[in-house]
Parts: sequence; C-alpha cells; structure tokens
Amino acid sequence: MRDVVAVLMAGGVGSRLNILVRHRAKPAVPFGGIYRIIDFTLSNVSNCGLSRVAILTQYKPLSLMDHIGDGSAWDLHGRTRAVKILPPKTGEKDWDWYKGTADAVRQNLGFVTDRDYRDVLILSGDHIYCMDYLPLVKFHRERKAHVTIGMLPVPWEETRHFGVGIVDNRDRIIDWQEKPHKARSNLASMGIYVFDRKYLVQTLNEIKEEDFGQHVVPRALKEAKVYGYPFHGYWRDAGTIQAYWDTNMDLLNPQSALTPHLPHIKTNHTTARMFYDRPPTRIVKGAAVVNSMLSPNCTIMGRVQNSVLSPGVVVEKGALVKDSVVMHDSIIKAGAHVERCIVDKEVVIGQGASVGLGDPSVPNAAYSTHVYSGLTVIGKQAIIPAGVRVGTNCIISSGAHEEDFQGGVLEDGRTIER
Amino acid sequence: MAGILALMLAGGRVNELDVLTYFRPKSVLPFGALYRIIDFPMSNLMNSDIERVGILSQYRPLRLIGHIANGQPWDMAGRNRFATILPPFKGREASDWYKGTADAVYQNLDFIRMTRPDLILILSGDHIYKMDYRALIKFHLEKKADLTIGFTPLPKEGANRFGQGAIAGWSRSGGIVTRYAEKPSKRMLDWASLTIYVFKPQLLYEALEANASKDSHEFGKDIIPALLGSSKVFGFKHYGYWGYTRTLEEYWQTNMDLLGKQPLIDLASWQVMTNMADRNIRDCPPTVIGPSASVEDSLFYSGCDIQGSVTRSVLFPGVTIEKGAVVKDSILFFDTKVRKEASIVRAITDIEATIGEKAQVGDDPRGALSVIGTRSAVPEETIIHSGVIVHPNMNAGRFSRKEYASGEVVK
Repeated sequence: MRDVVAVLMAGGVGSRLNILVRHRAKPAVPFGGIYRIIDFTLSNVSNCGLSRVAILTQYKPLSLMDHIGDGSAWDLHGRTRAVKILPPKTGEKDWDWYKGTADAVRQNLGFVTDRDYRDVLILSGDHIYCMDYLPLVKFHRERKAHVTIGMLPVPWEETRHFGVGIVDNRDRIIDWQEKPHKARSNLASMGIYVFDRKYLVQTLNEIKEEDFGQHVVPRALKEAKVYGYPFHGYWRDAGTIQAYWDTNMDLLNPQSALTPHLPHIKTNHTTARMFYDRPPTRIVKGAAVVNSMLSPNCTIMGRVQNSVLSPGVVVEKGALVKDSVVMHDSIIKAGAHVERCIVDKEVVIGQGASVGLGDPSVPNAAYSTHVYSGLTVIGKQAIIPAGVRVGTNCIISSGAHEEDFQGGVLEDGRTIER
Repeated sequence: MAGILALMLAGGRVNELDVLTYFRPKSVLPFGALYRIIDFPMSNLMNSDIERVGILSQYRPLRLIGHIANGQPWDMAGRNRFATILPPFKGREASDWYKGTADAVYQNLDFIRMTRPDLILILSGDHIYKMDYRALIKFHLEKKADLTIGFTPLPKEGANRFGQGAIAGWSRSGGIVTRYAEKPSKRMLDWASLTIYVFKPQLLYEALEANASKDSHEFGKDIIPALLGSSKVFGFKHYGYWGYTRTLEEYWQTNMDLLGKQPLIDLASWQVMTNMADRNIRDCPPTVIGPSASVEDSLFYSGCDIQGSVTRSVLFPGVTIEKGAVVKDSILFFDTKVRKEASIVRAITDIEATIGEKAQVGDDPRGALSVIGTRSAVPEETIIHSGVIVHPNMNAGRFSRKEYASGEVVK
C-alpha cells in the first residue's frame, strides 16, 4: 500500500476531557493501562501495511511528540517508512495556526503531493478502535469514489450526537444529517475519510473552508461521488470524562466488544523517564485483585476491583480501589478508599482518605457538562492529604495539595482549581 | 570506564538443570517473570558504565544471539560501545571448540588485543546479583594488583561447588589472597569465588599463553593457582545478595527470593534492563485478572490472563491460567497454558508448555520439583507426581499412561 498516504489529525483540544488534557493533547491521554489513545490509530495504520503517515499536531504537542518519537515503536521508521509530525509553521502570513482539519491538510499539501500517491486516508487520533483500512481503500477504489467515509451503525437513540449519512443500495451517500433530532439513518460518520488525491488537492486549492466535517464533505456530497463504508466493530470516541471511563471499563467487561487482549496494539514504552525496564508487578500475600487490568511495576497490598491500573501504581495495605482508572506511578496509601475515580499520573491519595463516594445527582458546579455522572477526576501530581473525604463529581486540578483541603472535606460537585 | 573490556562467559549448559538447558545456554534461562539470567550481569555492566563486552558462547547460541541483539537494550550499541557474541570458530586445526573457560578467552586473544583494553573484567553470565564493578576496579587499581578476584562469604551448604579462598587481614573491602582451592570436597577456606576477575591485560595474555600447552584450561583450576605466589592476587569482598542457579532447586529458590514479605531481591532498586523485543514482550497488553481469580504472593509482568488461583508463583508474559486451575509454588515460563481445573504444585513449566484440563503436575508441597519441557502438552486428567521430568516436545499423544510416579522421566 505504498500508494496510500495517511494523515492523522491529532491537533484537537478535546476540552471535554477537562483536566486530563490540561497538559497534553487528547491523543496523548493514557488509556488501558499502558497505551495512549493515539496508539490505536497508529497501530491500525502500521498493521495494515501503510508506511507513511503525517501527524498534524497543534495543541500541547510535547508529550505527544515525545511518545511518537521516530515512529519505530509502530515500525514506521525506515527507508520507505516514516512518521512526520507536522506542527503549524509560519508561512506567508505571520500567524498560521491551523483553523480546522481541512486547513491543516491544506497547509501541508506538500506531504500529500511529494510522492505518487493515489489516495489519501484522513484519520483521527482520538478514537479507540481496531480496524483494517485496506478493505476501506479497496471499497473506495472499486466504486471509483471521490470520497469514502467510514460509517458506523449506532443505536438510533445516539444518532443525535453524530453526522449520519443516508445511503442508496450501492452505499452511495445521497443525503446527510448533522446531529439530527429525527435521524433517517443510523450510519454515523467515524471521522475517517479516503480521498481520491486529485480530488482532495483540487478541492483544497479551490475552496477556503477549514473543516472536513463541516465544509469539505458537505460540498463533496453536492458535486462528487461520496460513498459510505460500513464498519462493524468496536469504535468509541473517548472524548468526554464519562466516555473515557466507559471505554476503559469496556476492557473489563466480557460483554463489550473491546477485548483486553490487544497484542496488535503497539505503544512506545521508552518515553518513560526511567532508563531501566520497569520490573514485574507484585501482588503480596493478603491482597485481593479481581476483574482488573494490571500493568507492569505495580505493587498491590490492598484490594483492587474492576479497575485499570497503569505501570507503577502502588495500592497499600487495607486500601481499596474500585471501578477506577489509575495512571502511572500513583500511590494509594494504606486504608484509603478510591471508587469511581479517574486518577492521573503521580497522584498520592493519603492514608485513610476516601475519594469518589457521594451523591451522583449533584453535578460538578463549575463544569456541569463535563463531570455529572458520578465520577471524580484527580489531576496529575495532586496530593490528597491523609484522612480527607472527597465526594463524587469532583475535579481536583493537578498539583493540588494539603492547603487546598481546608476542613478535610470536599463536597460532591466541588472543584479545586489551581 | 572507557578502558575496560568485559568478557562474559555465557555459553555453558548445566547438566543439573537438565531439560531447561536442552535448547538454550543457561545464561538465557528465563528468570523473575520478565528477565533472562544474563540480563543481571549485563545490567550491572551498564550501571557500572562499562560499555564494551565480548560474550563467549558455545552451546546453542541462537537464543543468546537473539536476546543480546546488538547490545542496544543495554545501550551498548554505538561508536565506541559494543556487545559482541564470540562463538568458537574453526582455526587451522580441525576442531577448535572451547576446551574450558581459559581456552575460550585464549582463542579470542586477537579480538581482545584489538580493543586495547587498560583492564580486562572477566565474569560469568550465570548469576543473579547486583554489583557495581567500579568499586571492584577501584580496589584493584588502589592495590596495584595484577589480578583481583571477587569473593563472597562461603555459603553454608554446597561448599564443594565453589572455588574457596583465604584473604589476608581484616579489611572489610578485601586483601591479598593467600590460599586458593578449586572446588575442594569440603569447607576449607572462608571465601567463595564469584568467578569475577579483573586482570592486567599483559598478565592475562602471558598466563593464557603459558596455559595453552597444558591439558586443562580453566580459570579456577589452572590459571589462579598458577598466578598465586608469583603475582599480586587480591580478593575483593562482596556482601550483597548472590543468587545461584546451578541446580533446579537453587534456580527455583532464587526465583522465590523475589517473593514474600520482604523479598531478598529488590528488583526496583537493581535497575535491570532486558531486551523487550525478545518474544515481543513490549507488545503484550497489561495482565488481566478475571472476576473469579485470586492471586497472592506472586510476580508477573504483562500479557498474562489469570482466571484461576495463583499462590507463591512467578508468571512470565503470555501465561494463561483458566478458570478453576490452581498454581502454587511454581515458575511458569512464557506462554504456558494451564487449562480449566488443572493443578500445578512446585513445578517449572518451560516455554509454550500446556497442562490439560484437570491434569495435575506435582502434588507434594515439600517434594522434589517437577519440570515440563518446552512445547510439551500434558494430556487432560493426567497425574504427574512431584519429581517427574517431562522432556521437551512431548505432545499429548506421547503420554501412554494416566499417572507418572516420582522420579520418572517422560521422553
């Protein structure tokens, strides 16, 4: 597949992930213990034999760039293989931030035109799914399409969150509804497009609009041949706190279509700050772990239930971690109770503290659209003092410490900003 | 430590380890849920800033070559850094297999001279320990020694398996070696040789040339006794943990030292590196512990799927333990499959072994270890008592009986 070039959009802010994206881009948010969200798309690209991919970054790209490195973790490094990270650059005008996905590609058309590619595969670095793109490209070519959109059949009640396409019996998209109240189709756009390169270059040169979903695709629907490729598999946009937690929990649920056995998903382990390999995980006598995913280098002396633990997590004696996602090197001290929490990296939950228990009907006061479903989110390197009680729907910003917990209680729905 | 050349003796096969070293030298025997034994001396070298090593290998070097790769896992690939495998080669004489530890080094003298070392550090790839060789080298230089040997207090048991030395004086760091006996039948002297040597290059070259015409070519048996008295031979005292892996029981115990309330081996502080590309460890997903599983006092890395019960055991990546299965006091190598309601007690299962449904391997919690060779498959409902050895590649059809008694060898 040397004649297909992949362009991966990794510049979105993903602001609904709140403090999880305060210091990193959404594709760089850790997921499933050892992965980051972008690993799924990058592994898909590599697994189907595509050899050249551009990653368009913009927002807080440092940890993302560090993670991608030279691409060799995904075997995308070599004579004919490459990952090119393309941040915005100063061009003819002083200020050339990407104004949208299409604009980002337009500003980097050189990457798409410098070789004799036939098709351009536009992907997003935000989604959790395993997909072989080759049948999609084959489908696109067989129909001599200008644009083919990856489409996912979703439950009808969820159609209002998506762009949905109405297709004829040859899968050609004949109508489109954007986030409809009364959908006429349940085929939702996955934000994945195959473009005939000639058509893409010509269109981006002709028009000035900025976004694929809002501008380029609607225009193509009017003037070109646009097809919908149905994808039947697990696909989630882990773009909200609730969806992020759900998607992690899907790994632990045998009824979900997301299996925890993911040997085909590659990640880059070498970006961790340690220069030696993390040692194995140790579960001591008297500990109890059920229905959980454990990464290397954890030490479990307490109880872990229904949770996803990243490398280096310590759960001390008498502590309980339940229904939670705990990221790298966080420590749950003796006797602490953590339930329905998303705990970012290097957090310390003090001895005997209780975090996440409370009345879920009280949404977060400051971010009621982000945190409302009975989850508490704790930012990177926050320190929860010993004995403190933190309710549910709380947000604790990264770096929070002792002084931020006057009175020893953080009521449901409260936020600690820093 | 730019002027140091390390030579690692890593080619040995050990009879006592039997089926575990049929297809690999002992130095690449899996250890500690993730590692190979050679990772420990390799990491020690790396953490001592020694970046040039020749690895002498003779027995079945394929796995060793694959594991060492180009030395990159230990950051030994670079302009002035290397980890080079030195297998025997055909000389002008018909067969030039290494005839002993000293002969292995002797046959590679041209390679050694080419690197122009200031000092030569000779060590074995067979032990589990943490050591900063810089302290040993500093001692060697301070004493202006010709040869410095690493020693540790002689263990209470198995004294006959060690080279024994007497070290003059009461210094905590070491002193002149006054007597040396290679593997005497009983406890004679206070210090056991770690088979770690620092040589002045010229002395090593001369000693090896002088030994070449003799019948026996071992450092412990021949070279050291020959140098004692004529050269300045010092003993450096090492006090830390030292894990032997020479017999099944020792190898098992050294693994068990990773477990318990206060593990004797503190891996986190040892800063061990391995080759994560070997068997694609780096692509393994996190370990899954199922809803009805129970895991206590055990060690595992990634890629395991545990649905049964595991106690006091060490699991390597890719191990699957199905529902109702019980694993106790055991070491399960990569990709071992334990089927439903099978039971394993005090056993070592080699890579890709399978224990069939309701089968039983080992039954006596204080009995002899059982070993299941690589890619062997114990058929369902078969009972293998403690102390049975199953050879590699024994597929289910080659088990003629339903029960095997202690001491039997299935081959």
